[in-house]
Amino acid sequence: MAAAEAEAGAIDFEVWVTEKADALVRFAYVLTGDVTLAEDAVQDALTTACARWAKVSRADDPEAYVKRMVVNAHISWWRRFRRREAPTPEPVRSTSPTPDGTAARADAEAVWELCKTLPDRQRAAVVLRFYEDLSYAEIGVLLNCAEATARSHVHRALGVLKSTLSKEGAEDA
Amino acid sequence: MPEPECGPEQELGPKLADAFQTQADSLSGLRGRVMAAEARRRIRKRRQTLVAAAAAVVVVVAIGGVWSAIGSPSPVATSAGDSSTGEAAGAGTNDAPSAPGKSACPEVHPIFQGDNGGPAAGTGLDLAMPVYGLQACRYRLTTGATMLLGSGSFNASTAQQIVDDIKVLPERNPDLPVFKCAPSMAQPSEAIVLRFDTGSGVVREIWVQYDGCAAVGFLTGSRTYGLYAPPLKLFMTGTLRPTGGTYLDGLQGW
Repeated sequence: MAAAEAEAGAIDFEVWVTEKADALVRFAYVLTGDVTLAEDAVQDALTTACARWAKVSRADDPEAYVKRMVVNAHISWWRRFRRREAPTPEPVRSTSPTPDGTAARADAEAVWELCKTLPDRQRAAVVLRFYEDLSYAEIGVLLNCAEATARSHVHRALGVLKSTLSKEGAEDA
Repeated sequence: MPEPECGPEQELGPKLADAFQTQADSLSGLRGRVMAAEARRRIRKRRQTLVAAAAAVVVVVAIGGVWSAIGSPSPVATSAGDSSTGEAAGAGTNDAPSAPGKSACPEVHPIFQGDNGGPAAGTGLDLAMPVYGLQACRYRLTTGATMLLGSGSFNASTAQQIVDDIKVLPERNPDLPVFKCAPSMAQPSEAIVLRFDTGSGVVREIWVQYDGCAAVGFLTGSRTYGLYAPPLKLFMTGTLRPTGGTYLDGLQGW
């Protein structure tokens, strides 16, 4: 009986991961800005989820539960330390606005690159706000901070992005 | 659902959402099933590591236990007594058992030879060493009538306390009287030998001289510490307690 339940649990996990892994990696990629880091974070979260699958699968929203693990893993001190061990070059605006109608795409690319320069918590807050469409209260819960703090993270990030984009726009002009 | 947007959110929000969505959609070649398998593999590996670590801990604890059993006796005092120890010479103060055969009082001891310099080289206690037990032996030193007068065993705690009390003493106690006596009277009528278990299997000694007038105090062979009451009080009990002595008579509180 117990073996049968365990087998059922195993199947559930495999099926669930097959269905959700893509979305999780996309979310992690938006969060981290790096495919390798994203896969790493998702793999770690899935490993933890697998170990506690009985509890995770009973949660109201297992996907949100695992996403929270991904966010926590991404902003955890040891992962930031590990990232510091392999420094990446300063991000720069890689795509210039072009006059052939692709200005919007170039802007999106520029925004993406600038987001990589944001501190981890600010970037996480921005991603949760504009990619996951969460409220500040929900972001606060995910980032383990007050709603006002979550709001502050987003607004600071937007302030930096706005001023940088304005500056670059002036330079381009 | 997010709250109504305002200011920078309205301006940059759509750009950010668009940028994130574009980048997310650009990902390809994702592998859900592989990730599930990898998660299971990591769990198995983690469990194996845990089991191996637990096994290593068990082995270390087992080795430590065996080592404790056959190696140095524990410095922690135990309440278990050994009624056979110390009974050879009367009712000593049996705080804790001494290892049989290691520190039992010998019937014939080098102190009988009248050497007032203390234990021979290599047999005196280095007071910096930890001690794990004590057998105290009180001998009559009268020529031709030497014998064991009393004995007692003490646990590691008391033994260490005695050593700690001795090692802070000065070379001599200035409050004691100074005697000048004929050589025939210089030889003490009795003395106590403190035989410490140092855990190495070798017994180390301190001789306690309190009678006669040739030597006085705690003698380690390399140093002499003055005769003071605090360490004496710890072992001069039962058959180990003399009725008096040249210097003991001038000492208070022992």
